[in-house]
Amino acid sequence: MGDDEYYELYGEYVSLKELGIATLISSVIAMIFFSLAPSIANLIGTQATGLSITLGAVGAAIGFAISTLIIKVKRVVSEV
Amino acid sequence: MDPMSLLLVVILSILSTLLYIFIGILPGTDETATMAPIALTLLLAGMDPMLVLVWFIASIAAFKMADSIPVALAGIPGGVMAVPQVPDALIAKEHGLADVILRKGIAASVVGQVVAIVVSLALSYYIMPVGDWLRATDVVLGVKVARWFWLVLVGVVVLALTSRNRFIALISIPAVALVFQGLRAVYGKSVYISFFLGITIGPMMFELLSMLHRELRNSYVRKGLKEVKLLKVEKISLNPLKILTKEELTHSTIWSAVTSVLATVMSPVGLTTLIGDLLRESKKDRVRGAVLAYTVRDAIKNATYIGGTLIPLLVIGAPTGPMAAGPAAPFFGKYDHLGMTARDFIVTHYDYLTIVVMIFISTAIAFLVAYPILVKYSRALTLAVFRRVPAEALYGLFIAIVLMLSYYDAKIAGIFGTIIVSLVSGALWRLGVSLGVLFMVLVSAPTLVPLLMALPI
Repeated sequence: MGDDEYYELYGEYVSLKELGIATLISSVIAMIFFSLAPSIANLIGTQATGLSITLGAVGAAIGFAISTLIIKVKRVVSEV
Repeated sequence: MDPMSLLLVVILSILSTLLYIFIGILPGTDETATMAPIALTLLLAGMDPMLVLVWFIASIAAFKMADSIPVALAGIPGGVMAVPQVPDALIAKEHGLADVILRKGIAASVVGQVVAIVVSLALSYYIMPVGDWLRATDVVLGVKVARWFWLVLVGVVVLALTSRNRFIALISIPAVALVFQGLRAVYGKSVYISFFLGITIGPMMFELLSMLHRELRNSYVRKGLKEVKLLKVEKISLNPLKILTKEELTHSTIWSAVTSVLATVMSPVGLTTLIGDLLRESKKDRVRGAVLAYTVRDAIKNATYIGGTLIPLLVIGAPTGPMAAGPAAPFFGKYDHLGMTARDFIVTHYDYLTIVVMIFISTAIAFLVAYPILVKYSRALTLAVFRRVPAEALYGLFIAIVLMLSYYDAKIAGIFGTIIVSLVSGALWRLGVSLGVLFMVLVSAPTLVPLLMALPI
């Protein structure tokens, strides 16, 4: 495991494949939520604009939570 | 203020504080990318702009207090503003002073925010009439120019001259302005949010795309996992007055007052770097210099964020500095359901005293919540974040939010527009242009480009 190759991005080690997966998960859920907003807004009778962005952000955050569970952390913390 | 709004102020401040403690500790969370989209979401969702400001002030308190925690404990910045503190922290850590700078940083944050609020609110009250003068327009070369534009122009030129690469920074001002106005003309509307998020993620996108290049890729390759050493912390007293020495308190107070006003037109990260470096060099003893610089930088971080938001918001009504044009930008945007900008709504619907009281309440609550949490659990929180949150998930979240807002601004074309804005920004950043220059160009472009076109040469 110690021989795995990662890339350093903003001071963190990342796997490009897993970064792609995380981006895809968050983006897809965000865009689905975003595009569902107008029909939900119709249903409850509010403005769609605000709801689209809000739901999209919630979707992206759900994607973040899912990615956190399925992607391995590339840090090894030693307590000194 | 009725009891219902007071209750809302309290609840929003607590929620914002808890969220931004987490975001603050997370490594690599950019301020603009994390503060602006949430403020924008709340505004678009129809929340009263005054309550969004309350949320924002509490988030500054919590974020700028928490982002230096991983610096003190592991040498890893929790946000862009904490980057200048890293060299100080490394020196302090070599001498076993990690827990000393940790608590000094937390206490200095409180000093910075409170001093900046008092100074910005008092100053804003007295210079309010200047705002009307600054908002008036003159006709220059046949172009209508608001007077605050000159303030922005001077600010961006100064910022360009202090960039690592002055030459490129200066010529990028009109060049990048043309990119923004060109895209806006194609979109047929004055897009703002996706452009500034494009600038924000510019450096990350540039590095990321460099990794796809076979030859460039090699310089980014790392073997094995990233090792993080987390230092032990002794028990810390809850009394903030015991933590700072008289010298640290004096410097924190004076520099917070000065930088909160300067942040109206100057870059917060630039000021944090500049003042901290001056203080560090002023001490013969390397360790004492580092501790003093680290402490005062923590105060300046809060102070510049507060001043850079409140003075442009209350007095000028236009984003004249990198803070107002960056993290606080949503307040200067126009919203259909309000029929005006969020900033105008705040100053026309609330009297000055109410604004002052709400800002103080949100700061007080933020610190009452954040201070004990950070003093008691900073190490446990940092450990949990480092062990459980993969960087990929966080970067994926950023990119998703930028994609969504780009689509919201101009559909599929908006996404490609943001990609080119981020690549241009990332390349210029790599060449040594401060991102603050690009934020300021974004604000000044609608006036700058017509002036450029009207030049008689």
